[in-house]
Amino acid sequence: MLANYAPILIFLVVATGLGLVLLALGFALGGGQKDAEKLSPYECGFEAFEDTRMRFDVRYYLVAILFIIFDLEIAFLFPWAVSLDTIGLFGLVAMGIFLAVLIVGFIYEWRKGALEWD
Amino acid sequence: MIDLQLAAAEVFMVCAICVVLLVDVWLPDERRLLTFRLALLSLVGAAVCSAYYLPNGSVTAFSESFVTDPASAVMKIFAYLIVGLVFIYSRDFLMRAGLFKGEFFILALFALLGIMVMLSAHSMLTMYLGLELLALSQYALVAFDRDSPIAAESAMKYFVLGAIASGTLLYGISFIYGVTGTIQLGAIAAHFSQPGAITVPALLGLAFIIVGVAFKFGAVPFHMWLPDVYQGSSTPVTLFIGSVPKIAAFALAWRILSESLGDMHGSWQTMLAVLCVLSLVIGNIVAIAQSNIKRMLAYSTISHVGFIFMGFIAGTEDGLQAAMFYTLVYTLMAAAAFGMVILLSRSGFDAENLDDFKGLNARSPWFAFVMLMVMFSMAGVPPFVGFYAKLVVLGSVLDAGLIWLAITGVLLAVIGAFYYLRVVWFMYFVDPVDDSPLDAALDFRVVISANGLGLLALGLFPGVLLDLCARVIG
Amino acid sequence: MIATLLFYAFAAVLTVAALGVVTSKNPVHAAFFLVLAFFQSALLWLLIDAEFLAIVLVLVYVGAVMVLFLFVVMMLDINVEQLRQGYTRYLPLGVVVAGVVILEIVHVIWYRSQGLPILSVPTSHGPDYSNTKELGAVLYTEHVFAFEIAAVLLLLAIVAAITLTMRKRPGLKVQNIAEQVAVRSADRIRVVKVDAVTDAKD
Repeated sequence: MLANYAPILIFLVVATGLGLVLLALGFALGGGQKDAEKLSPYECGFEAFEDTRMRFDVRYYLVAILFIIFDLEIAFLFPWAVSLDTIGLFGLVAMGIFLAVLIVGFIYEWRKGALEWD
Repeated sequence: MIDLQLAAAEVFMVCAICVVLLVDVWLPDERRLLTFRLALLSLVGAAVCSAYYLPNGSVTAFSESFVTDPASAVMKIFAYLIVGLVFIYSRDFLMRAGLFKGEFFILALFALLGIMVMLSAHSMLTMYLGLELLALSQYALVAFDRDSPIAAESAMKYFVLGAIASGTLLYGISFIYGVTGTIQLGAIAAHFSQPGAITVPALLGLAFIIVGVAFKFGAVPFHMWLPDVYQGSSTPVTLFIGSVPKIAAFALAWRILSESLGDMHGSWQTMLAVLCVLSLVIGNIVAIAQSNIKRMLAYSTISHVGFIFMGFIAGTEDGLQAAMFYTLVYTLMAAAAFGMVILLSRSGFDAENLDDFKGLNARSPWFAFVMLMVMFSMAGVPPFVGFYAKLVVLGSVLDAGLIWLAITGVLLAVIGAFYYLRVVWFMYFVDPVDDSPLDAALDFRVVISANGLGLLALGLFPGVLLDLCARVIG
Repeated sequence: MIATLLFYAFAAVLTVAALGVVTSKNPVHAAFFLVLAFFQSALLWLLIDAEFLAIVLVLVYVGAVMVLFLFVVMMLDINVEQLRQGYTRYLPLGVVVAGVVILEIVHVIWYRSQGLPILSVPTSHGPDYSNTKELGAVLYTEHVFAFEIAAVLLLLAIVAAITLTMRKRPGLKVQNIAEQVAVRSADRIRVVKVDAVTDAKD
């Protein structure tokens, strides 16, 4: 089975190699003097006005976590689809119940307005 | 089909949760009481399912991942009862605090479902999923009061520590799986019953599992979260997490330690004994120094956990029965104690401190008497049921030949009696700080009186519950 | 042979990445080290033929959970310097505890390793082996109870997330575009008949 993943291994080797080579080339060939001032971040010629990290609205988080939940649901669907011919009607019903429970959650979040921004 | 009948209570509970969730989301705020009633109704329905499909012996279902037996059915029915008490005690408090939302009841029902799954778990996987179901709802419940920074803080502490404990438990389970090659509790028990099966990796796994179990119980030295969480959450949430989840913790120890790793009893006996003695000492002594009633009850929980562990340490059938009896009695006492804390609160004022109990007798002699029954029962004063609970666990430890442990238990119970009796002293012999009369709905008054009198009645006729425990478990 | 070499290569990177997670000063760097650690663990899983788990680890953890992680790191607005203030103060205690733990582990493994059973090495499967199919064959049949509980767990996660983060802020002014588009002149303008003033005096 591992042989099927040989292209990925080759890709990994090439990607790592290429990344290293590019970095090394940039380091070796790039001229100029680098001092602390040149490397420090600036904002339109000024000192940075505020920290790069600023506070997010918590609603981004809600969207992300709802996404993860349905992402996981997809992860459960995948092996089910692959093996549906062996698990038959039982598997179909099992997945039906699984999806029904999550649809309840979906209706809940829709009605609650969690999918709306305002 | 037969599988679904065996799991009728769980199936019913899932459906009930979905119905309550969908009804609640369409209800306008002023009709929120319907959610409360539906939640109570689903408890009744689940009780009917559990009682109707009461199995004669131990029956497994769903390819051995689920088991139902009389003991789990009895404990489930007990759990419904306690959750019902929690709902009734919480209603008015939540309304006053502006927290009367359907999610409180829904999250509590989710937690109850987790407890049911744990009670009926017959594989490490279902046990873990049940535990997570319970834990996740509890984290959300602790943070339920969103405007309270202290609630958020305690939820954070609880969540981080709880996640570490779950990880530890899972790591231990992975060792056991690596050694035995199975996650089914029956098959694991069969593996360890062979001679020479107890190897170093198995012991390593066992140690991690014990840490997880001790955390969920809140046994010293894994108790750090407990006082902060009890104090930080709003009182109805404290009432919930302080009572019912102890049944789940019992299920965790019972199913995993006694049933599947029972043959390793020699190995885990010492570990539990250390936890037990530490819990008794720290719980009882630190409780004396508390001025906050919720913190005091948290440390009292820790000491009660020590007593529950004694039943497991004995490792006999009697010990298991005693532990089950103690757990059930404890949940009843905890529900009544936190119910009394809620009773003393009124709008804009949360009873938190021991001082709030001062002169309760002058304000309401009857409820002072109810609190007296609860405190005497917790302290282990005869004829209240807490006395018999302590008696049976100590008896089982003595039968197992651990005299030193029994003596330690008795000594610390005597020390512990001090802080329970101090509450009684405050109620009867100290002048009240404020004289405002207690107001509570009629059903609240009736139920908490029944709860307190139940402790007395069970103490006068301890045989009823003891026989039941003896008949169903072991 | 190649598989063994790869195992050590991936495991080495994994260890370095895991160390990076706990030692980097910047939480964002730590999060990216965690991504690397997830990737390496996925590769390790691939080596023991658990391809579905490997793919899910990358899809769910790297794709989704790490995004969430970065959100939280950004949201918390942590002052790293402040967090590290107690570091040197607690370092001696930490070193002592770590030393005790290491001693204990060495004791257990070193002195009791006589007769330690070596767990059997999982055998590799043929080229046509599909781990996903095997998993599917038992997940929805043998483990159906756990599978449905997992659905309930996800439902609980939805409810908990919404309970804890959703908040209707009072006094928030919003624009309802649908309403604005559907508006008719009759809704906004009322034609009022006003009688001319007649009692004007000359």
